[in-house]
Amino acid sequence: MPDLTSNGMQCAEFDGLLTDALDGVLTGVRLDRFQAHTRSCPACGPLFAEVEAGRNWLKDLTEVEPPAGLVTSILASTSGVDTQRLRVNSASPQPRVTVWERAQAWASGAMQPIWETVRQPRFAMSFGMAFFSLSVALSVLGVRPADLRQVSLRPAAIRHTYYNSQARVVRYYENIRFVYEVESRVRELKRDVAPAVAPSKEAAPEKKDHSNDTTQEPEQKQERNYSQRESQLILAQALPGSSLKGPSLDDSSIERPSINDSSINDPSVVSVTAYRRFV
Amino acid sequence: MEDVQVVAMLVRRCVAGDAAAWEEIVQTYHRRIYNICYRFAGSGDDAEDLAQEVFIKMYRTLGSYDSSKGAFVTWVTTITRNLLVDHFRKTKNDRITDSLDAASSSHEDAQPLSEQIQDQSAPPDARVRSREVGETVHAALSRLSPELREAVILRDLQDMDYREIANVLRVPEGTVKSRINRGRAELARLLQRTYRQVM
Ligand SMILES: [Zn+2]
Repeated sequence: MPDLTSNGMQCAEFDGLLTDALDGVLTGVRLDRFQAHTRSCPACGPLFAEVEAGRNWLKDLTEVEPPAGLVTSILASTSGVDTQRLRVNSASPQPRVTVWERAQAWASGAMQPIWETVRQPRFAMSFGMAFFSLSVALSVLGVRPADLRQVSLRPAAIRHTYYNSQARVVRYYENIRFVYEVESRVRELKRDVAPAVAPSKEAAPEKKDHSNDTTQEPEQKQERNYSQRESQLILAQALPGSSLKGPSLDDSSIERPSINDSSINDPSVVSVTAYRRFV
Repeated sequence: MEDVQVVAMLVRRCVAGDAAAWEEIVQTYHRRIYNICYRFAGSGDDAEDLAQEVFIKMYRTLGSYDSSKGAFVTWVTTITRNLLVDHFRKTKNDRITDSLDAASSSHEDAQPLSEQIQDQSAPPDARVRSREVGETVHAALSRLSPELREAVILRDLQDMDYREIANVLRVPEGTVKSRINRGRAELARLLQRTYRQVM
């Protein structure tokens, strides 16, 4: 558009006021100047007529009626709820579609795309693990589903939350392991004082192994030290009754407690130590 | 246009798994979405498919709607518009033919545009005539460039204000107004040309 100045108004300014003028919100001096420019400008006069005509043509486009089955097909492809069935049922005096049924239908519809993805093998494992650790972490932290609304979904925040939760889960397992270990030791000692020396020999190198392992996290080491100290303490108390057997036991005697005494207690010790290696 | 709290509640119920709330949303907005799709895409069949796609997308992303960031109707319209633009890019508007005469409507009794206009000289009745004029304008609208078409659809057919349209199209209000002016003017030129041929 040529930027002419006609009646003190430039074409660019006219263009900016065009919609306001057609909407009827242009008043006073500005309206007067606008109208004067429309009458005198060879470019803007016809433009105004065209824009106004175009707007009037568009008034002929009334709202069209959507196809009758559109809502039904939308619901079928989203929530999976068959409204035809619902309407028939709600028309009858006793609606047979319960809220539970509708919820189920909705849930199956909602889960469909998620389920398709989860079923792919490469996602299945990671989703399973993620869900497991998340649920454990949440129960450890005492998080209620209602709290999740406040969870930040920024990538950095998610990462932070993930590592935080992971650390807590590790600590949780460490604590559980420690409790199991102490429990099993105490039970062992209660059953039989003498063979209890064997586990102390068995457990000692095991623990040394791990205390040398500097890759472990500090709190793990700390807890392990507690458990070591704790069991040594208990063993020290138990030793007077078994002082003869204790130091002279060789490697073969390590097997003895599990065979002779407590087949119930031993697996717990084994499983605990085995577990420690893999976690 | 909408009670913000009522809609926000409806959306919350829906996100929580309330199928009845979702049906209410579909019932409330399907007409609007279908009309935008129909006017933008040009054909009823395409509009039906596109409207369905819009609702599928809405259903999946409903949880991301934030009532503090704008009206639900603006959110819904934005989803619709984005999907239409994607659709347009994919199809490159290949069904829109060069000649207005060849542009057909979704009706089975669709005729070439010039014949429709000739018929207007002796209309059997006013409603038929008004429908035919509507079809003529609809065909002309399909010939506008997508960016002008979407602007006039949202303003002149959906009665949205400039600020809302600016939000949907993610352009400044001045640009919205300019596109509306150009779209209306272009439409008038197309229709004037057609009428001159006939008369
Ligand atoms: Zn001018």
